[in-house]
Amino acid sequence: MTEAVRLQAVAKNYGPVRAVDGIDLSIARGQTVALLGPNGAGKSTTINMLLGLLEPTAGTVRVFGGTPTEAVRAGKVGAMLQESGFAANATVRELVELARALYRDPLPTAEVLATADLTDLAGRRLDKLSGGQTQRVRFAFALAGNPELLVLDEPTAALDVESRQAFWAAMRRYAATGRTVLFATHYLEEADDFADRVIVIARGQVVADGSGADIKQLTGGRTVSFDRAGTDLDVLRRLPGVVEAEQRGERALLRCDDSDRTVRALLADGHAWRNLEITGAGLEEAFLSLTASAGKE
Amino acid sequence: MRAYLIFELRRLIREPRMAIFTVVLPVLIYTISSGSSGDAGQVGGVDVAAYLMVSMAAYGALVGALSVGIAVSQERANGWLRQLRITPLAPTQVVAVKALLASLLAIPPVVSVGLVAAFANGVSFSAGQWVALVVLMWLGSLPFAAFGLALGFTLPPQLTQPVSMLGVFGLAFLGGLFVPVAVMPHVLASIATWLPSNRFAELGWSVVAGQAPPVGGLAILAAWALVFGALAAWAYRRSAALR
Repeated sequence: MTEAVRLQAVAKNYGPVRAVDGIDLSIARGQTVALLGPNGAGKSTTINMLLGLLEPTAGTVRVFGGTPTEAVRAGKVGAMLQESGFAANATVRELVELARALYRDPLPTAEVLATADLTDLAGRRLDKLSGGQTQRVRFAFALAGNPELLVLDEPTAALDVESRQAFWAAMRRYAATGRTVLFATHYLEEADDFADRVIVIARGQVVADGSGADIKQLTGGRTVSFDRAGTDLDVLRRLPGVVEAEQRGERALLRCDDSDRTVRALLADGHAWRNLEITGAGLEEAFLSLTASAGKE
Repeated sequence: MRAYLIFELRRLIREPRMAIFTVVLPVLIYTISSGSSGDAGQVGGVDVAAYLMVSMAAYGALVGALSVGIAVSQERANGWLRQLRITPLAPTQVVAVKALLASLLAIPPVVSVGLVAAFANGVSFSAGQWVALVVLMWLGSLPFAAFGLALGFTLPPQLTQPVSMLGVFGLAFLGGLFVPVAVMPHVLASIATWLPSNRFAELGWSVVAGQAPPVGGLAILAAWALVFGALAAWAYRRSAALR
């Protein structure tokens, strides 16, 4: 079987709040996939359902063809959760040894410690670690069982720049062994740099799905807007640098991947326009515009 | 599961607070109370020194068995139990290990108070009585282990500790561990005989008196084990569904 994860029409309500609103997705074995979205988008909820920690309100979740819990019990999944704490009165090495003992085909202890950059901290008590060190221990715990699917929820939170780089280098090595990796992040750069595929989630829905470059193009551009004074929208759409043009009342909104060229063309061609505005789409805004367009479809 | 048990046992041994509450304190109370009562004769057909030994051992066992709830509550709050749920270890195995650990904590007070009774107060039993005492009080602590788990899976950490303490003291007082049932007012005495703490200590009192524990007492203790067990199972399912 080539599919690691499949979500079909998955939804999750917390009381009246719909945290996940009908997600369909399929992840092939061996892929490194980023789940990108702002805080509160539904990333953690989706991941928790994928791990069997939460039951979906509707839809089905399949991991390696079975239920999430079956996959977890079979030792096929390792996961690093946000904010998960550890037992006090145990050392880093003891925790790694425990994780190894729970899985059938674990990685060697020394390798796990080295990968998570914990070799020097192996004898340290878990309650005597800094935030960044604890985050590395979470990674080690997820990794130790050598799982086929590694799920990481905001793995680089609390890590400094240096540890971040070391972390992603380790992740790359792990993914290179043919394992499936799914990580949640709200940094587009991270998603673009380390994932083969980026799935953008906003307001509980998948709003974009593609390579990092695709997503960057969707979200990295600027919007040029003006009162169009009768100019045909199709003409505007054909201007250089324009990805998409739409009309809101009298205003034309041009989503551009190269707004400089668009504006130059707008000036040179002598189109009638007033009240020109150029706005950079931050990631958050880009997510919102993506959701807005997803809502219209 | 064995690896998890060993991991947990190792943690337990490193927790000095537990030794203070389950060994030092019962021994201290025993030494003081048995010293002050002098040669007061017998309670319920047993020498006072032996009777108090069982009472204090039972008290320490209660503290030990209920303490598991405090750990569970903390580990629930900090996410450790959640982390364990995404390993091949089944949640029921985690709960079973916790219950076993809780019941094992009933053994040190029985042994330590017993040793003080034997060496300082000249209480003497046969080897068979020793074995019966430790085994019965170990198994008899299971209802309290279940009670501790029920608290741990229901309450937040800041409440689990005081509520456990209240539970221990309530059960100990009303069950006749601090004041013998024989000298209790009538109403309290009749309540005491229905409590698991009283029937738990009765296991020990029977052993030191050289008798088999009464069937009625065993039945009451078993009924409490079922009640607390069901409560713990319910609390566990509820907490798992919430997360």
